[in-house]
Amino acid sequence: MTRALEVAEQAVAAADGDGVEAVVQAERSGFARFAGSEVHQPTLIENTSVFLRVIRGRRAGAAAGNRVDDDGLRELAVRAGEAADASPEDPNLPDLAAASPLPDVDGNDEETEALGPADQAQLAAEGIAAAGDMPIYGFFTSGAATVAVVTSAGFSGEQTSTDAGMLALAATDGASGYAEQTAWAVREVDPATVARNAVEIAGRTANAEELRPGSYRAVLAPYAIGELLQYFAYDAFSGLALLEERSYLAGRLGERRFDEKVSIADDALDPRGLPKQFDFEGVPKRRVPLVENGVLRGAVWDLASAARAGDSQESTGNAAPPVERRWGPLPFALSLAGGEAESVDELVGLVGDGIYITRVHYLGIVEPRQGILTGMTRDGTFRIRDGRLAEPLVNLRFTVALPDVLADVPGLTRETTLANEAAFYDERFAYGALVPSIATARFDVTGVGGPPGI
Amino acid sequence: MRAVCEEAVAAALAGGASYADARAIVRRSQAISTKNRRVDRVDDIESEGIGVRVLVGGAWGFACDRRLDEAGAHEAAARATSFAKAAPGKHQRALAPIEPVQGEYRTPRDEDPVDVPLGDKIALCLAAEEGMQHPDVKVTSAFVRAMRESKVLVSSEGTAVEQDLVECGGGIDAMASDGEISQLRSYPSAHGGSSAGSGWEYVLGLELEREAPRVGEQAAALLRAPVCPPATTTAVIDSEQMVLQVHESIGHPTELDRVYGTEAAYAGTSFLKPGDLGSLRYGSDRMNITADPTTARGLGTFGYDDEGVPAAPTPVVEAGILTGFLTSRETAAQIGNGGGGSMRADGWSRMPLVRMTNLHLEPGEGTLDDLLADVDVGVYFETNKSWSIDDKRLNFQFGTQVAWEIKNGKRGRMLRDATYTGVTPIFWGSLDAVAGPGSWVLYGLTNCGKGQPGQHAHVSHGAAPGRFRNVQVGVAPS
Repeated sequence: MTRALEVAEQAVAAADGDGVEAVVQAERSGFARFAGSEVHQPTLIENTSVFLRVIRGRRAGAAAGNRVDDDGLRELAVRAGEAADASPEDPNLPDLAAASPLPDVDGNDEETEALGPADQAQLAAEGIAAAGDMPIYGFFTSGAATVAVVTSAGFSGEQTSTDAGMLALAATDGASGYAEQTAWAVREVDPATVARNAVEIAGRTANAEELRPGSYRAVLAPYAIGELLQYFAYDAFSGLALLEERSYLAGRLGERRFDEKVSIADDALDPRGLPKQFDFEGVPKRRVPLVENGVLRGAVWDLASAARAGDSQESTGNAAPPVERRWGPLPFALSLAGGEAESVDELVGLVGDGIYITRVHYLGIVEPRQGILTGMTRDGTFRIRDGRLAEPLVNLRFTVALPDVLADVPGLTRETTLANEAAFYDERFAYGALVPSIATARFDVTGVGGPPGI
Repeated sequence: MRAVCEEAVAAALAGGASYADARAIVRRSQAISTKNRRVDRVDDIESEGIGVRVLVGGAWGFACDRRLDEAGAHEAAARATSFAKAAPGKHQRALAPIEPVQGEYRTPRDEDPVDVPLGDKIALCLAAEEGMQHPDVKVTSAFVRAMRESKVLVSSEGTAVEQDLVECGGGIDAMASDGEISQLRSYPSAHGGSSAGSGWEYVLGLELEREAPRVGEQAAALLRAPVCPPATTTAVIDSEQMVLQVHESIGHPTELDRVYGTEAAYAGTSFLKPGDLGSLRYGSDRMNITADPTTARGLGTFGYDDEGVPAAPTPVVEAGILTGFLTSRETAAQIGNGGGGSMRADGWSRMPLVRMTNLHLEPGEGTLDDLLADVDVGVYFETNKSWSIDDKRLNFQFGTQVAWEIKNGKRGRMLRDATYTGVTPIFWGSLDAVAGPGSWVLYGLTNCGKGQPGQHAHVSHGAAPGRFRNVQVGVAPS
């Protein structure tokens, strides 16, 4: 792989501006994607891309490319300069990141970095074999993604993060179950266990019954609450969305809106997640409290949104990858604190009468200001009766205000799970939400869909 | 680029592949946006590389390399063949036979959109923003994009095609807020405007500046509009929302790879079965759907797909009956029908997948006013705001930015936070009118996601407003 930091430094040197920022992303990854227990879309990716931002006076422009030889970087610098020249002056242009101490984090594993196509295929095969006669669909993937950021203001940093993941949907006509594991070290991912868990859930979903729409108590497995929280967070916990009054937090900061058992942070330093040292602008990562004991505490910020906010607001180190930068700062390391329940069974007991949701599908943000989301359940939805898991249910349409879901929480498991939230579009950037299973007193079912299975 | 592809194919065959194809791509894309009358984004992105797909012992392999030279070609070919050998399947993967083709295709254009100066693009955005200003509008934004892609495909069967494609698009958004609620209004389409396979003349033709005052005023008016009440009623859906309805509830379920389950883990499957072809009633007899990669200005318009299959229109639903699937050569061989034609990859670093090209709801007759005239009580939905549909593409819920009460055949007061929900074949079965060709509009969207690793496809849909009876309308949650 091209040394990313060296390329970033060369890109900055090639540019002509009052300020320059280079972000290099280098990826080497493999996907052994399978369907019907056969690998059908194996993809190996190797790429290095450079994002170069040039500031001339108060004008800024950016260009990106993946030719990293001298000619390629020179041409990139010219295009970035032309973009800056074409832009009107911006009086609120923030300063570039300066040199600063970086936190020590985990997140790189030699064994994971060394995995090649044969290893990735073998790990997928272990999962497929463990599923037995039940067809499984999903992937094993591993990769190493290096991010290097260099600014003319003095920041220079490089981090290579590794990640590995196994995702399995076990499915037949009328039955399906889902499981996954994601970690920065492949030793923490056991494809056979993932496959067996998916098969076990699938085995309990045949002959699913319909459910009358209405408001139910519910237990949400980590995959379900993780995805709901991530979608809610895009607007709710974004500093830019807060400024633009589309965040749920707007006008509510400091208020207790959630159950006091609910505490949420963005914590890229947590070794149980996918740790990062700095963001895509070169600002060191830190733990950012978002909700503490039910009280809305704050949002995440990047340099641009923090400058716009004023009042000494600092970047919290949440600048997004260059391709996502238009969305403003984003929380990519959400962490919902665990509770005191020792098991999911205990949560089911607390709910008494309600539903259990393994996974959600195709979420849509209906109304960001109120945190209303809609989606479907899939691959393991069950009725809870008399404090125990009961009959399987068909896929359910839900439309929920997530603040309502979090307003009355009978319990959370002590154990948390890293739920993968990345779909691996564009340059590889693995991220997930560290979440427990959660019980809620309110989950609004608004329709019914088809049975589980394919 | 062609020589590099030929090197890669030769290397793959030498490495044991029974079939190989190589795509070399140079893509340049620009994205310019302004927000609250300041430049928000001026990005100029270039990406190039080669992707090599092989069949070894009946198993697929795919690898890519950013280097468009002999070394990159050989390395990608070697890694693709080694991955295929490492993951053998139980079944031989066969491809429907096609005649090898040699050809070229170029998107018709008056003015190359990438060549338009960045300063002109920024000025267009800033001018459009001016018109949206309103005391209640807190955020205005305008955006334009341009893309040029040179693509060469060479296969071991003798296909060699070169394509020179361009796209561009634009749009405007106004977000109003009163501190309690916020409302968004967009033109010409939500979620990034609309794009076309065209020269810059398409963006100029959108007339963003002319539409801006209406967009700003409607965003502000929505703050004072009542919430759309729940009801089972008649829904009239505008062209813009209709294209998303077509995309989600017809386009994706008719992708034959989904029918066969190969997208089950991520995007989902389909309620359709291979045996439904020619017999399943998808909707009412007013429903006619065509997949057409030859549509002028379509984002899914090309000379050849990413397997080298020449572009040709395909009926998908005729008078409400399912008559076609979107296919690859592999899925066409599986079903024993057709020869593919819908395979597309997101750039050089992704494996081609079955994707929509341009999928249209064919027009009926009359105008929007004619549709409304036959409604005593109902709701007219305009411009998508939210969308969600289940993994089989049956149960859906859409929300629109604005809705209008229909009373006694006329459009009445404005409503906000409107949603409607349904089950695909029941919903399409309730279609009782589609407006005519004069109301038919082509929209292009660039955010269709599928695959693992994820891929974005750019697709177009044409539709005229449609009228549906007995639709569940209303805002959740209970």
